[in-house]
Amino acid sequence: MTRRDALTRLGTGFGMLGLSNLMAGPASIGEPRAPHFAPRAKHVIFLFLNGGPSQVDTFDPKPELTRFHGKQVPDEFFKTSKVTKDLNHSTLLGSPFTFKKYGQSGIEVSSLFPKTAECIDDICVIRSMHTDLPAHPQAITQMNSGRLIAGFPSMGSWVTYGLGTENRNLPGFIAMCPGTPNVGPELWSSGFLPTSFQGTYVPLDESDPEKMIRHLTNRSMSSADQRKQLDLVAALDRLDMARRGADPNLEGRIQAMETAFRMQTEALDAFDVGREPAAMRARYGVPDRPPETATKIRSATRDGDFARGCLVARRLVERGVRMVQLYFGEDIPWDSHHDILVHRNLARQADRPIAALIQDLKASGLLKETLIVVGGEFGRTPSVETTGRINVQNGRNHNSRGFTYLLAGGGVKGGLAYGATDEFGFAAVEKPVHLHDLHATVLHALGLDHKRLTYRHSGRDYRLTDVAGNVVTDILA
Amino acid sequence: MRLISLGLAALTAGPAFAADETASREFFESRVRPVFARNCSACHSAGNKMAGLDMSTRDGLLKGGQSGAAVIPGKPEDSLIVRLIAHRDEKRKMPMGQAKLDDARIADIARWIQEGAWFPEPVQASAKKKYAITADQRAFWAFQPVRKQEPPVVKNTAWSKTAIDRFLMAKIEARRVVAAKPADKRTLLRRAYYDLTGLPPSAADVEAFERDAAPDAFDKVVDRLLQSPSYGERWARYWLDVARYSDDRLESEVDAPYPNGFRYRDWVIQALNDDMPYDKFVKAQIAGDQMGDSLRYAAGLGFYALRPDTQDDRVDVTGRAFLGLTTGCAQCHDHKFDPIPTTDYYALLGVFTSTKDGEYPLAPEAVVKEYKERQKAVDDKKAQIRDLLHAQATQLSQALALQTARYARAARLVLAPGLPESQRRTLDAVMADGRYDKETLQRWVKYLSDMPKDHPHLKDWTSASFDADAFQERVLAVLAERKSVDEENAYRRAAAKKQKGAAPEVVSLKTDSFYLWRDLFFNDFYGNQFKQEDDGLLYYGPNRGFYESDGTVERLLDGFWKEHLVRLREELASVKARLPAPYPFLHTIEDSGKLKREKVRVSGSDDNLGEEVPRRFLTILSNGEPFAKGSGRAELADAIASPGNPLTARVMLNRIWQYHFGAGIVRTPSDFGFMGDRPSHPELLDYLAARFVESGWSMKAMHREIMLSAAYRAGSERLAANESLDPDNRLFWRSGVRRLDAEALRDSLLAVSGELDFTPGGFASPLSEETNRRRAVYGFVSRRKTDSTLALFDFPNPNATSEKRPLTITPPQQLYFLNGGFVANRAQSLAERSAQGGGAAPERIARLYRLVFGRAPSAEEARLGAVFTLAGPARWAPYAQALLSSNEFLFVN
Repeated sequence: MTRRDALTRLGTGFGMLGLSNLMAGPASIGEPRAPHFAPRAKHVIFLFLNGGPSQVDTFDPKPELTRFHGKQVPDEFFKTSKVTKDLNHSTLLGSPFTFKKYGQSGIEVSSLFPKTAECIDDICVIRSMHTDLPAHPQAITQMNSGRLIAGFPSMGSWVTYGLGTENRNLPGFIAMCPGTPNVGPELWSSGFLPTSFQGTYVPLDESDPEKMIRHLTNRSMSSADQRKQLDLVAALDRLDMARRGADPNLEGRIQAMETAFRMQTEALDAFDVGREPAAMRARYGVPDRPPETATKIRSATRDGDFARGCLVARRLVERGVRMVQLYFGEDIPWDSHHDILVHRNLARQADRPIAALIQDLKASGLLKETLIVVGGEFGRTPSVETTGRINVQNGRNHNSRGFTYLLAGGGVKGGLAYGATDEFGFAAVEKPVHLHDLHATVLHALGLDHKRLTYRHSGRDYRLTDVAGNVVTDILA
Repeated sequence: MRLISLGLAALTAGPAFAADETASREFFESRVRPVFARNCSACHSAGNKMAGLDMSTRDGLLKGGQSGAAVIPGKPEDSLIVRLIAHRDEKRKMPMGQAKLDDARIADIARWIQEGAWFPEPVQASAKKKYAITADQRAFWAFQPVRKQEPPVVKNTAWSKTAIDRFLMAKIEARRVVAAKPADKRTLLRRAYYDLTGLPPSAADVEAFERDAAPDAFDKVVDRLLQSPSYGERWARYWLDVARYSDDRLESEVDAPYPNGFRYRDWVIQALNDDMPYDKFVKAQIAGDQMGDSLRYAAGLGFYALRPDTQDDRVDVTGRAFLGLTTGCAQCHDHKFDPIPTTDYYALLGVFTSTKDGEYPLAPEAVVKEYKERQKAVDDKKAQIRDLLHAQATQLSQALALQTARYARAARLVLAPGLPESQRRTLDAVMADGRYDKETLQRWVKYLSDMPKDHPHLKDWTSASFDADAFQERVLAVLAERKSVDEENAYRRAAAKKQKGAAPEVVSLKTDSFYLWRDLFFNDFYGNQFKQEDDGLLYYGPNRGFYESDGTVERLLDGFWKEHLVRLREELASVKARLPAPYPFLHTIEDSGKLKREKVRVSGSDDNLGEEVPRRFLTILSNGEPFAKGSGRAELADAIASPGNPLTARVMLNRIWQYHFGAGIVRTPSDFGFMGDRPSHPELLDYLAARFVESGWSMKAMHREIMLSAAYRAGSERLAANESLDPDNRLFWRSGVRRLDAEALRDSLLAVSGELDFTPGGFASPLSEETNRRRAVYGFVSRRKTDSTLALFDFPNPNATSEKRPLTITPPQQLYFLNGGFVANRAQSLAERSAQGGGAAPERIARLYRLVFGRAPSAEEARLGAVFTLAGPARWAPYAQALLSSNEFLFVN
């Protein structure tokens, strides 16, 4: 008899009470659950480049932009483009980085991502992403939950709600960041889904697993003794629930306690990149010792933190974690308003680990069942930013109308450049992919129908894609 | 079908409808517009036409949206809007995501359409783009005056003890939900203790309450708890969440930028314990220096003085905290949903920019004077050092620029591009050739070796034909160019400042020149952005903003200048040594000598100034009169803390309700606007808001009124029948099961182990110190790094105002119970405490249950305990730890 059976038979499980919203879906993260149809992928690694990386400096080459560098947007452009608003006085800024063709596919990638470029035949480059608002908090929230406002379940929560986890010794949904991304813990919140689907946050500015996940080991008790102690807690909690009546919070905690117990053995190993050979760490760009930083600077990223995150992400999917959400850095590091050259250092920190992650998963065969998603909350304008408090005119402003996402593995076509922005890179014009479409496609790759993955709350069935979203079938292998 | 015929029945049964416009207008404005404003306008307005539908004009309704006409005058049955609000279309039910409208409302809409769908002509704005608050916006519920409400008549009078209950019961009955049975006495007592003090009751408290059969037994408990100093410690923390209180700032050069910040925290605690009227409490925080008894009220100004530094949030926090309005949204554009134009934002900003940070000394004048004089001596000395370094660094960048060619050549000798390794020379060997500064050469070597292949000026540095002299010319030219750009921009900004409203077109270096300038003459002037870049920082320009400098400049100073610097530093040390202990003071704000009227920043840009706005209150809540006294803070405070303000009492009352019931009547406590939640019980909210004002704004009176209701005393049972009708318990038919928040958890662990230090007030020290056993509210609150245990249990980020705490349940939290040192130590103390008085295992188990849960163990619990502790005396601490880790300890019903 499992503990859950026991609860039900004791008359305290939810089944007995017919709690409609809990019956609608699994109440807890428990065992893996069958998808709606045959899945292409079983895991997701979402590498979130928060702040908004520039598409025209990375994966969306624009020769016209270079040609018109320093000039105003030509009048002809406005005749065909839908995006005339707020472009009137903008001056185009050619990319300071050079593009080159890579791989069999010959997809062009800039000098910012030379290593990732070598994997281009495994990558689907969506060049026609667009979203609704060019403001960080709303855009980041929307990219994570499909909604512009807080309070809704994140994608990782939906995914674990739909599929459960394959490894009960680790949380099914893990969110990592060196520090906290803009908006914060709301990004991995389970919203109105049961709390067991909430992301477990792990700080990446620590490298010692015992600091990444605090209180991971018990120094005074053997595991067997601790098991006995935990059994006692569980027995007391059952008695307590019999008295109070079933409640998702009480149930959720009992499960969280069990997961915590099992995490002790597994997490110590999973989060310890020190167990990787030195050469492997070097491939990702993880320094042996994290560099010291003198003062705390907002949005400053430290060498190796994101790299370590990628390496940990690999170790987590190897252990069956369903969804890893990795944020690039504190707040919004890719927000290069002043100087697009800042992208160089950011890309230097991002390029190597992204490439290493794709290569490693490919070598082990896990790439077939892992979908890697790379991108930010929006892109950047092809024009130079001239307003606000900037002092140097070499940066780009927010642009939600056209930007690039990378997908790799998990049944997506590699070596494919999908969709296009206009000749300068302002807006998606060819085969536009809204973020709802991206969400729908990610769920589809996991074998989940985004229209059927619903949760009844406040008298209405909610879903990740709200009332929108179309699966981009063209990019599926 | 049924509903619509019901609507038409009402129509035919009603009085004949006068066809004249006055009656039409009256009906529309009183019965239709409020429904649109409350339920529809957020998504279907001129500015936000979801599904193509604009409901702000008659044309918009007739034209309709993607699905065709919304309204067909005279034909309610055929009008789409009626179909959708009557939920006759299974797929599209309006208002989206909200409960169905009352039948009476639907009937009103149907009647209005039947009568021809009269709609006022759109107001033609005389001046183009002039902001106008629409009638819909004015009709929004939150801006309506608080109306004193009579509790409704209900059937279940046995359950309904108080007026609050009747308001709740009316809806419970209307929705056919069953109200939960009352909680048992022990549960109720524990709930009341945690609610008011954040601490568990002792076993003796429980027993006394269980013994007290008097009908007012609970009343007495509530009164007693409200008198406890722990009450203020509990409720102050809620306000401190709203006030984004912290003992530090994110970006500060010193560890404790607010050394007296704790005095604001202590003031809030004291104000609550004294039951300071809420209107005074509000006024003190906005204008406590202008309230007469400033010694009593000025500490409240810490609300603004202890603000975060990442952005000026004073207008935003004023709106959210006191008014439940997201005024901050109007900083860059008129508020998208609420009637808050940008001009309102800048009208309020002017109030705050006409104030400055101040301090209110709590020491004799002479002490303050002496300290300030000595502090000034320190500051002067620091300034001398900074000026010296700045001047030297500027000179140095010029000097180094003139040696560019020499160093570039020398670095090429070390790197020997294109040549076999054998031909490379060591740095020391090259050094020996000529007079080079070693570090500068090292930087050049690193710079060139890391050189990107696409660098606009140095991509050919490896080629044999590289012309170092030409490169140096380029460097010098860029330096000169930079200087002229800076001068030009300074001129343009100054000119724009004189010409009101003109946005200066700023010039900048050409991109290629900029790269070079940045590589070689990077300095802090351009902010933190470039600290990202560590490749190619060659010459530091003016020092990096710290008077100590980073050593780059000093290294190159010699002889006289170096001695001078050393002397200045010695003098600094000596004046520092003479600095007496800081005197105590309050962090406050005060009117500055120069009053400002802010100009609108178009699109939030400082370079694009619009009209100048006088300091005044929000348009929607006032007559628009400019403030006349000083900065206007006192007038602002009066306008907010006024019984006539429709928001202030409602917002605070809702916060109080939220902390008693786990959720507010409005579930977005700091947003009562369009995008916020609608009140589940608007009449109850008004009833309580009116009572709040009548009671003299007494928060304690409100606690009492709420806690003595039957609803507050309800049990937490879940009733299957209710789950589908009201899964979120918006009707408050039961009480919830709530996890302890971070502070209550920590305090409870210390309380049951007998280690809690009740010392009130004073300096904040980190909670992570094992010796810190004080209540969590007294811990150091950091904006840089939240205490990890507080963060684990959802303590809010103090960089922004926070309206409620998510109470999450995660595996890492459970690791804290399983392995955390703090819990283990409390368990150890608890185990030792349970050994006092001796006795056998059953006695000890019973003692532990009394200490931890305030009750005796059940037979099964006692048996489990006996089995677990049988293994030996070493099991007592793990046993105590298990009790502390149990759900019974962590959750309150």
